[in-house]
Amino acid sequence: MFKNTSGTSRIARKALASLAAITLLGAGLVGCSKASSGGNTLTYLTHSDSWTHADPNRNYTGQHIAWFGSYMHRTLTAYKRAAGADGSSVVPDMATDTGRASNGNKTWEFTLRDGITFEDGSAVTCADVKYGVSRSFATDVITDGPGYAMSMLDIPKDKAGASVYKGPYKADGNDAAAYDKAVTCSADNKTITFNLSRAVGDFNYTVTYLSFSAVPKASDDGDKYDMHPVSTGPYKIEKYVAKDEMVLVRNDKWSKDSDPIRNAYPDKIVVRFGLAEEVRDQLVINDSEPASMSLDGILPTNLATVFDDAGVPVDAWKGRALNVYDPYVTYTAVNVSKVSCVQVRKAIYYARDFAALQTLAGGAAFTGDPADGVIKPLMGLDYKKTTGYEDWKQEGNAEKATALMAEAKTACPDVYKRATTAGLTFDIGDTDTNKKAATIWIDSVKKNSGIILKFNFIEPGSYYNIVLDITKQGDLSRAGWAPDWANASTVIPELMLDGYGFPLSRAGKDPTYAEFKKRAEANLAEPDRVKQGAEWAALNQYVMDQMWIIPGVFSKTQEMWGSKLTGVFFWEPQGAPSFGDIQIAK
Amino acid sequence: MFGYLIRRTATSLAILFAVSFAVYAIFALLPFDPAALTCGKNCNNPAIIEANRIRLGYDVPFWQQYIVFLGGLFAGRNYGQGAAALHCPAPSLGYSFNQHECVTTLIGRALPVTASLAIGAMILWLIIGITLGVVAARFRGRSADTASTVFVLIGTSLPTFLTGLLLLVFVVIKWKIIPFPSGNYTPFFENPIEWAQILLLPWITLAFASAALYTRFVRNAVIETLSEDFIRTARAKGLSEKVILRKHTLRAALAPIATMAGLDFAALLGGAILTEKVFNLPGLGRLSLSAVVEYDLPIIVGTTLLSAAIVIAMNLIVDILYAFIDPRVRVAA
Repeated sequence: MFKNTSGTSRIARKALASLAAITLLGAGLVGCSKASSGGNTLTYLTHSDSWTHADPNRNYTGQHIAWFGSYMHRTLTAYKRAAGADGSSVVPDMATDTGRASNGNKTWEFTLRDGITFEDGSAVTCADVKYGVSRSFATDVITDGPGYAMSMLDIPKDKAGASVYKGPYKADGNDAAAYDKAVTCSADNKTITFNLSRAVGDFNYTVTYLSFSAVPKASDDGDKYDMHPVSTGPYKIEKYVAKDEMVLVRNDKWSKDSDPIRNAYPDKIVVRFGLAEEVRDQLVINDSEPASMSLDGILPTNLATVFDDAGVPVDAWKGRALNVYDPYVTYTAVNVSKVSCVQVRKAIYYARDFAALQTLAGGAAFTGDPADGVIKPLMGLDYKKTTGYEDWKQEGNAEKATALMAEAKTACPDVYKRATTAGLTFDIGDTDTNKKAATIWIDSVKKNSGIILKFNFIEPGSYYNIVLDITKQGDLSRAGWAPDWANASTVIPELMLDGYGFPLSRAGKDPTYAEFKKRAEANLAEPDRVKQGAEWAALNQYVMDQMWIIPGVFSKTQEMWGSKLTGVFFWEPQGAPSFGDIQIAK
Repeated sequence: MFGYLIRRTATSLAILFAVSFAVYAIFALLPFDPAALTCGKNCNNPAIIEANRIRLGYDVPFWQQYIVFLGGLFAGRNYGQGAAALHCPAPSLGYSFNQHECVTTLIGRALPVTASLAIGAMILWLIIGITLGVVAARFRGRSADTASTVFVLIGTSLPTFLTGLLLLVFVVIKWKIIPFPSGNYTPFFENPIEWAQILLLPWITLAFASAALYTRFVRNAVIETLSEDFIRTARAKGLSEKVILRKHTLRAALAPIATMAGLDFAALLGGAILTEKVFNLPGLGRLSLSAVVEYDLPIIVGTTLLSAAIVIAMNLIVDILYAFIDPRVRVAA
């Protein structure tokens, strides 16, 4: 074979030319790169693929209520936008005052202010608020929101315990007259009256929920409304695509004159969904997006960049980060209908290496203190330290866990066998930190008690949709709860009673449930607040005695934001920043 | 050829029906109660679950559900009644209550994203892979060949998600060589420059590993072809190396590469999950992944059917292409 050097060098030159062309094209795209959103645009960054819900009737997490309540959905009353305890007081929003009670707190009246409109300029009337509230009754379409309208309004129940009013979408088999009697509008369509089935002294707190906001009937298309809710606030949706972004622009029909509690600082608000967690954190840490804020807190591995060991922001982060107690208690709900053995439930509590989990999450300075139930000490009247677990150890108590499992072997052999052979499923949000935490749970619980845990990682934006579905919920489900307002009436019944808001423990068939239910429901109507508080504390002890939940922490939260944001403060009642007060510095 | 196409099309349609039945059967017969999809916190109420079962059409026998599903492909589908009724126009693959949208719409939105990612990455890895593979084969045993071997080792060792994360964190965030894009995706027809800017790093990420693999394949294929008798004959006739390489070697060597590329492309169109996840591209991969995690059965059925259709279609295209590349296949057909 002979060599042809000229052909060879031509091939090499052409190859190099092709690769050089690609490189130049890439460099050209880089050089012409459009900068990320700048100007007066406030950007929120999140790992979730979408909002759990944007529909006001389906919103139930404090952060979502704080966000949508700041920018889009007005309610009859709202929490005062102030830091500290001052923020927990209620002020008028759409209403002219914080409500007028009569009939022994069973009737409440609210009169709408003048000048409130939807984003198309049409006036908001009593009928619109009445319609908005009615949507919560369509439980087959409007899912996941708070159930206060159904539990409080004076509407009869059928034999199955469901309301005879089925919401605004059904014509047949629907007692709409019952709803019309419970919620009435004045002749001038400005005053709404709620008739309650029982005395509720703080109903003006209940109506701070977005499920008591106005919805225009003509725009309501049921399930799809979750993607395009109509605004009564300072911003409206320009774009909302899951896994992509939401863009809010100014609602030019909103007027500060009729809305003394909200502000409209940025020109535009963008929420970027689906970011990898480390990418989200690095964007803020490197100030790549100076006018941005993470909606998800901070990865534990990045806490040391922002805070010192005591949990105080380091100098470079003063004014850009905070570390505070939030209103939440974290816990793991035990699905009592599946894990119907109190010894097994207690064994998991004793076996778990709480200390390692806390270290993983960043240490006590960031995660908070070990919880002893579902009521936080901040609740004051309703809190009393629970007893009976003095031998619980943060690093796990193998001896106690083993003894409990020995009891379980004879007391409940079926559950014992499943727990130690096939294993128990554990639902948890799909995050990097949780994946690491799962390893600690699996190892420590297996080592100290012989119980096998199998983790089911669920996309965070869909987590509660799935675990609240009784056909999909596992044996254990990670959860957190904050009181809806400063009364454990929004904790104990909501978390423990079937048919209430968040019954992940599914204890309805437990032999000890009947007495618990009787006492809890009686206590809801207790007029003596001190006596009521003592009974809530006793029922918290009851929950711990049966280990219907495995307590986590009285939690803290960390937030961080870009260097151009000002006005950030922690809004205690919602457990989130007061988003509407955030501004972009010039 | 026309008869061949008709036969293949008919066979493909039959396979698609069989796949749709199998997919639908598997998910319809799983031990989940699909009627509980929209129940939320009230799913412990049997009356509500039963009402949902009727609304979603799961109260009829399985074979009837499949016929309704098939009917939806041609005539659209309705859900619920009254003011909250929903309609998904044909071809309807169902409605996702998690994403509040018809599955066909969701797929229609995600497909261009994945197609853009896949096409761009494929063009990149083919150019790089073929170029480096040919150079490595031509200069076998010399420094160019060694360099290509190192490239292959690195490219095949680095997982895609790690490449993507490294590029994103260092190139974009820490060193700020490229600003963080203002959106997750911009359609080509809306702004082609922005479309390319957003996809540049994902293309590089996805192409990197494949380019390494294709470099190796092309190198080996060219080396093998260069040792064939017909190449020796061509040289004996006095043809230049350039002509031998371009007109005789490449066509023979690249025929199997075309098959491989077609099938790889089909697999990518099903969704480059890791790359889409790292770069937050709202494509089919992310859609499928979230549907599996959220037990969103209509989307799972829809994306599985689409993937099957793409693989079948690409198989057909590759077979036709092969007939054009290799005359022997044409004669045999």
